[in-house]
Amino acid sequence: MTATSVHPKSPARVSPARVRIRVNRLVLYTALVVITGLFLGPFGWLILTGLKAPAELAAAPVHWLPTHFEWRNFVDAYKAIDFLGYARNSLIIATIYATLVTLSSAWVGFGFARLTAPGKKVLFGILIGSMMLPQMITLLPTYLIFAKFGMVDTYWPWVLWGLSSAPYLVFLFRQFFAGLPRELEEAAIVDGCGYGAIFWRIFLPQSWPVLSASFVIAFTWTWGDYIAPQLLLSTDHSTLAVAVMTTYVSAAGTPNTNLQAAASVMYVVPILLIFLVAQRGFVAGMSTSGLK
Amino acid sequence: MTVDQASSPAVGRPRPTAKTGRTRSTARTGPSMTTRKHRAFYMFASPWIIGFSLLTIAPMAYALWLSFTTYDGISPHWHYVGLGNYRELMGDSVTWDALGRAGLFALTSVPLSIIAGLALAVLVNRPLKARGLFRTLLYLPAVVPPVGAGIAFKNLFDQNSGAANGALTFFGFDAIGWLADPYARYVLVMTVLWAAGNIMIISLAGLQDVPRELHEAARIDGASAWRAFRSITVPLLSPVLLFQTVTGVIASVQTIMPMLLAPTAGTGGLTSIPQSNYTYMIHVFAEYFALGRYGYASALLWVLFLLILIATGLIFKFTSGVVFYNVDPEAQK
Repeated sequence: MTATSVHPKSPARVSPARVRIRVNRLVLYTALVVITGLFLGPFGWLILTGLKAPAELAAAPVHWLPTHFEWRNFVDAYKAIDFLGYARNSLIIATIYATLVTLSSAWVGFGFARLTAPGKKVLFGILIGSMMLPQMITLLPTYLIFAKFGMVDTYWPWVLWGLSSAPYLVFLFRQFFAGLPRELEEAAIVDGCGYGAIFWRIFLPQSWPVLSASFVIAFTWTWGDYIAPQLLLSTDHSTLAVAVMTTYVSAAGTPNTNLQAAASVMYVVPILLIFLVAQRGFVAGMSTSGLK
Repeated sequence: MTVDQASSPAVGRPRPTAKTGRTRSTARTGPSMTTRKHRAFYMFASPWIIGFSLLTIAPMAYALWLSFTTYDGISPHWHYVGLGNYRELMGDSVTWDALGRAGLFALTSVPLSIIAGLALAVLVNRPLKARGLFRTLLYLPAVVPPVGAGIAFKNLFDQNSGAANGALTFFGFDAIGWLADPYARYVLVMTVLWAAGNIMIISLAGLQDVPRELHEAARIDGASAWRAFRSITVPLLSPVLLFQTVTGVIASVQTIMPMLLAPTAGTGGLTSIPQSNYTYMIHVFAEYFALGRYGYASALLWVLFLLILIATGLIFKFTSGVVFYNVDPEAQK
């Protein structure tokens, strides 16, 4: 489109500057399309690999497109392992964690936003600092402790992690609650309402945009997490992330590359869909809070 | 504090039973409003305080204790060795090599992904058609979970069936063993670059806060686009870039992506990771799960933890004069 508009009806009337702007725009769009293609490439190749037959994957030179689209790879990948069972485990763990951590983070965030006490500043500093703590470093000894208390191969670790809130989400809620008008709780305090009731009845119902954002963030974290379930759950009770990574191996010990690729597409797509749906929610949430 | 001031009238408010002698009456009717508020704060903060103590501080303390022992998780005959593990670590060339690789990985992947993310942000911040679509598509890879990214890159860079070698041979070059030494490290960096959309989105929010007048003024003064970018955009974005650097370094040091790119998956495949991707974190995992040396591995963890603290501190220290915080209240609005 841009290319055709470079040739106007009367060339004499177009200044060189106009032409330069149009050429620039053409270069810009071409660059953007190429870069976007590069970014989508790895995922596109994953889908293509999932649609090829094993013989085609071994062929040289590389077959760019499958000669025959093996859609049944997706069915086979689904049948080769207890796909639904693993997906259910992922769903359970992610839902448990996301629900608990959203509520606990909202609870803690309310405290930091709306209440004061000696030591609050120091605690807030620790909270912010703890966002920078390397998670992987604390995970390994935490795993040893969970193992000591017999919590390996149970969902308890995710319950406990959920109950103890997440600094990033606490901060998210704190920012939101701190921006709400003060009159909200004042009337309730005069009426003799406790802070617990104020939180549940007044603040929580106000915070749907943040609640849903927090839930989606926590859910995708857990769905995507590989290392915690790998360490804490036995293979049978593990999550889809672990199963997709480790179980697509033939009896001879060689990897079933095409089935694994198909399975990982089925594992990733729900997260992409959640993101695409929630993306609108985020924008809506931001614009409503911007109106106040 | 402002909340305190606002609620002080409520504290002084006469209650039915509090007409005379405030101290006595509060003792009878319960604690004062301020005390109630203090207690309420700790009630609300308690999930985090307890959780942080039990699931972060306690494990780190436990790891510190283990690091002074020969504990292996199975044998009952473990004993206290003092700084023995740390002394061994100092003389262990495998540890130093792994640390060097982690450092190199951080020094390449963090600046490259920040430059890429910033460039993308500048690109999609222009008035374009379908700008939202480009933003979404460029950000999408950052949403793909690590397992998906690992498998995607394993297939893309597969020796035989990968598109990378397909392209190389198409143009007459020899195929490369991308996932083996010494090329695996480049694939590792590319997995980080693939998620640069993350930095793009955060930088984009910062770019939109840059006042338009500054760029207009620069253009009137005859400044080139590059000059305006360097002298206006980068300084105003510097807090965002600093934050990205710190979190990027921490993320790169603790990445498990080498495990996901390894020929054999799972903790059993730790030994199949090529040398060039055998980073410090992978070394820790190998010591824990392949060798079961909990004591030594805990010492490794604590050294890494301290190194990250030092690195973070140094980054903050060296950027304190460079990072520009916009504190003008007019510009904040």
